[in-house]
Amino acid sequence: MTIAPTLSGGLRLIPEEEQDWSVLLEIADDGEGNLEARFGNLMDEDSMWEEIVVPELKVDFSAQRKEVRKAVLEAREQGREGVTIEREQADLWYGALNQARLLLEERFRFGPSEFVEVEKIKDAVMRSAYFRNEFYSQVQSLLLEYVMGDG
Amino acid sequence: MLLKQWLRSKNKTMNAVGAPVKKGQFKSSSKTDKPWQVVVLDDPVNLMEYVSRVLVQIFGISKGRANELMLAVHEKGRATVWSGSREKGEMYVSQLHTAQLNATLEKVE
Repeated sequence: MTIAPTLSGGLRLIPEEEQDWSVLLEIADDGEGNLEARFGNLMDEDSMWEEIVVPELKVDFSAQRKEVRKAVLEAREQGREGVTIEREQADLWYGALNQARLLLEERFRFGPSEFVEVEKIKDAVMRSAYFRNEFYSQVQSLLLEYVMGDG
Repeated sequence: MLLKQWLRSKNKTMNAVGAPVKKGQFKSSSKTDKPWQVVVLDDPVNLMEYVSRVLVQIFGISKGRANELMLAVHEKGRATVWSGSREKGEMYVSQLHTAQLNATLEKVE
């Protein structure tokens, strides 16, 4: 996979083999879960989070995953060189990548990356998840640095 | 209800992190109106630069102040980022959750 900035201020993800396309599609798959409920659990019952906020979060998070999946599928089906993340789509992509990483962390408990000893991860599923998580994190860093600009 | 008002107007006022910009409201509470505090909790996933960015966008604080709060979250596991009324605190927490940061609302002891 090659990642390159675009002249319009975006980022282009350029798969080099079929497996790379699969990794891009897994962003949405890895983010499938009940992430919004996790945020609801941080609030007390009086806040009515479950009734008011969690349903809104569910809609927002689902839309992020849906758009990312659609962008990847369209790019692959139309034989494009890669997937372009325009500046105005950066937050959406960042959010979908974040969902994937939050749920991978919840499932595998990698902890802070500086403490992970990857050679000790023997389980193939966990090892694959770890490398996807690292890839997603790299894309997020590049989005922050080159596309999303200063807060 | 501020929270319900925000939810109704949400689609019209979304900013880059999917939350309404509320610049200038960070210091709006008086000393007698601070029974609740918004607390951001650490997690091993959210990138430090992103956390700072979200705090700037939601609370309208300087990048330097946001970095201080972000480091406090990272080093101590949690940091109080705002205090004031419950309703406004709920609105801020909902924006932090939209940005996928762990945050909660606590009553000031």
